[in-house]
Amino acid sequence: MLDLLAQTGLNAVYAASYISLIAVGLVLIFGVMGVINFAHGELYMAGAYSVVLFYSDFELPFMIAVAAGLLFVGCLGLLMERTLFRPLKDNPLGGLVASIGFLMIMQALASMGFGVRMEHIPPVTQHVIEFSERVRLPMARLFVIIAAVVLLSALWIFLKKTRFGWALRAAAQDPEAAALQGISINQTARIAMFIGAGLAGIAGALTAPLVSVNPHMGHSVIVTAFIVIIVGGVGSLEGAVIASVVYAIVHTFVTTFFDGVIADITGLSLMLLVLIVKPTGLFGSADRA
Amino acid sequence: MRNFLIFLAGAAALLALPHGLSFSQQEILVFLTINILLVSSYRLLTLTGEWSLGHVVIMGVGAYASALLSKKLGVYVPVSILLGGIISALLAVVLSFPLFRMKGFYFLIGSFAAGEIIRLLWKRFRDPFGGAKGIKGIDPMPDFSIGIYDFDFFEPVSYYYLSVVVVAACLWILWRIERSPVGLTFHAVHWQDKLAEASGVNLRAYRTLAFSIASGFAGISGGLLAHYIGTINPNSFDVEVMVFVLTWAIVGGTSTFYGPILGCIVLTVLNEIVLRELGFEQMRPLIYGAIMILSILFMPKGLESVVQKIFSRRAKP
Amino acid sequence: MTQFLEVDNLTMRFGGLTAVDGLSFKVNHGEIHGLIGPNGAGKTTTFNMISGFYKPTEGQVRLRGEDISGLKMHEVARRGVVRTFQHSTLFGELSVLDNALVGTHMLFRPNIFAAIMGWDKEDRKGAEARALEALEFFGLLHLKDDLAGDLSHGHQRALGMAVAYASHPDVMLLDEPFTGMNPEETRQMMGLMRKLRDDGITILLVEHDMQAIMGLCDTITCMSFGKFLAEGGPEEIRHHPAVIEAYLGGARHVA
Repeated sequence: MLDLLAQTGLNAVYAASYISLIAVGLVLIFGVMGVINFAHGELYMAGAYSVVLFYSDFELPFMIAVAAGLLFVGCLGLLMERTLFRPLKDNPLGGLVASIGFLMIMQALASMGFGVRMEHIPPVTQHVIEFSERVRLPMARLFVIIAAVVLLSALWIFLKKTRFGWALRAAAQDPEAAALQGISINQTARIAMFIGAGLAGIAGALTAPLVSVNPHMGHSVIVTAFIVIIVGGVGSLEGAVIASVVYAIVHTFVTTFFDGVIADITGLSLMLLVLIVKPTGLFGSADRA
Repeated sequence: MRNFLIFLAGAAALLALPHGLSFSQQEILVFLTINILLVSSYRLLTLTGEWSLGHVVIMGVGAYASALLSKKLGVYVPVSILLGGIISALLAVVLSFPLFRMKGFYFLIGSFAAGEIIRLLWKRFRDPFGGAKGIKGIDPMPDFSIGIYDFDFFEPVSYYYLSVVVVAACLWILWRIERSPVGLTFHAVHWQDKLAEASGVNLRAYRTLAFSIASGFAGISGGLLAHYIGTINPNSFDVEVMVFVLTWAIVGGTSTFYGPILGCIVLTVLNEIVLRELGFEQMRPLIYGAIMILSILFMPKGLESVVQKIFSRRAKP
Repeated sequence: MTQFLEVDNLTMRFGGLTAVDGLSFKVNHGEIHGLIGPNGAGKTTTFNMISGFYKPTEGQVRLRGEDISGLKMHEVARRGVVRTFQHSTLFGELSVLDNALVGTHMLFRPNIFAAIMGWDKEDRKGAEARALEALEFFGLLHLKDDLAGDLSHGHQRALGMAVAYASHPDVMLLDEPFTGMNPEETRQMMGLMRKLRDDGITILLVEHDMQAIMGLCDTITCMSFGKFLAEGGPEEIRHHPAVIEAYLGGARHVA
């Protein structure tokens, strides 16, 4: 029993790691741009396909493929900012519709380029850390956990200590006041989109060898990310991280002890409950939207 | 007299429409007719200013209810479709208690969560919902004859005629509601809820009313669908279908009654017929997505605004 | 005899801030009653509590002896207390006539089944007649087909009052009705308010324009820093030392 708990706990830590990478990106984009990026799951998918392309097809080193994924998806974010979200700044439903359109295009491109079948990616490492007979942590999962901790810490330092980070937070809180202070809204939007998309991309790239990579893999991820950002409080980065951990623990344990569908229902019910009781989220304050 | 002639011409056009189409195009025509009811019912909800992401699941509630009632309890199919609509409307009343504590973006996400939970419940409970495989062998509409025409509901043309009659009746009711003081109150709730409230309008009651009427008609459209295709499962009503409804409404525009219908027809014809005929089978989602983006960028007020422009230009010589 | 409209020990706290503190006053039936005070005195907060927009932290608002505090805005409205809004809050996308028709909501409650079947012709006629009557009263009849959003500022204010008037209220709560009006419009509006009073409608108004309020009100309640300061007729208030002190820091006479 203790083994099972420990193993489930490790699974939860792994899940929390990649979920928080995705959710933090989504929150960052929402905070600065004021739009919900429905195509965020497809950015994650694009990161995974970068690894398919560069690592399994071109046989480049895995880390280079991951870096390429980060860059490529970050640039996709810049493209979305320039072509979709900036022109639709004053149209609340517009950003939503445009991001859904983008989602469909991405899925279609992935199907056309790689086929709808699941991709097989050769494992990066077979190494497994064995804590005991039944408590094991594959190295590949440990990579994801370490990467999430490093990246989120770096982001935290960037946001709290640098001028860019200060501008980003100011723009997220009050775009008009920030503009009056001489902060370029377009510049901060670009940075936020690049980072937000890049985080989704890197999450996709890192988990690519561990999950089934297919053109529709973004769907389950976006639902999870929505739950997390609502529970954490829309616009709160710290809340998103905490909620990712909470969600991952709840979901992993319910999956282990009941089944996956019940776990999904629990997650959604958790979100609905938060929306009913405290719509600003458990860790958020009332601001945008 | 003139109105009557227009009505006759319209009826004749609808009657003649399926002839000369291929079998698969006739099937699409049936789906199109049902979807027109779905998107028009969705517009009634948007009249009060709320956008839901659970509307298609509500349609599914009607479909499941009607399928189960006819299959398990032997309810006569037209009655079960009607009951399916009523059950959808009642479920909406229940859902309104948690959901209308939210507004705007939060309602959007909340309705999505509620819808997904319902869908997962269908998936989880094999009895009576059939689990992920859903319900198969749903009773078809019983055939009947009206003397000059024999309805054989395995034929899309017959089912199309039936759907046109049902959908037209539903649209007529929706139209009457919108043009009534109730519809005016919906508009009032949307544009200035505080002023409406100060005028004695019970906001919660009117939001719930719009939600449940919209859901009732969505349920009827679900019943029509279920008894035509004969098999439904949780994925028949997933968020991808919802995205289509959303785009029909937004590309068509929601400030007029005909806007969403126009959006539904234009996009369906484009997606199902033009792109298929041109051999873009694999690229259809890509082109569809591009159309969505382009229309929201360059036609933010929808197709209806283009129609209005043409007509106002014609009015002024 | 029970008072017509009575505010009793009304208190509103927002977090640590007490916006209105134990305010009590009475409004007599058939009067124009003014509520004045310097900026930040809590006038609008009081107004919002009476109309049901806010729920008071403590205290009561009583209408003919019935406690109406804490009721929702539409429930207050259904008891005959109808408010207007400070800014030109209208259904800008609807026609002027439709705006007034929304105002008739309580008189001719829409019924969805009757509406579908067409059994509500009488009601629709009645509602339209009442809406037109309200528009005529405020001199807006010639604009009935225009969009409310396209009206001039003065007309928008008048339409706001017409919407409230269309519901046949007992009490009209007017939130700064003269804001942004030129002297001519103000004069006309004052005339209309007297006409409303002569129709038997009690008016409670919150206002900055001292000239208007002095010439119009039967009774004036003055508040300062959330508390009751003074009450009386216009002359009394004009010369009340506490009012002068509060309002203008004693520098010059009121108005």
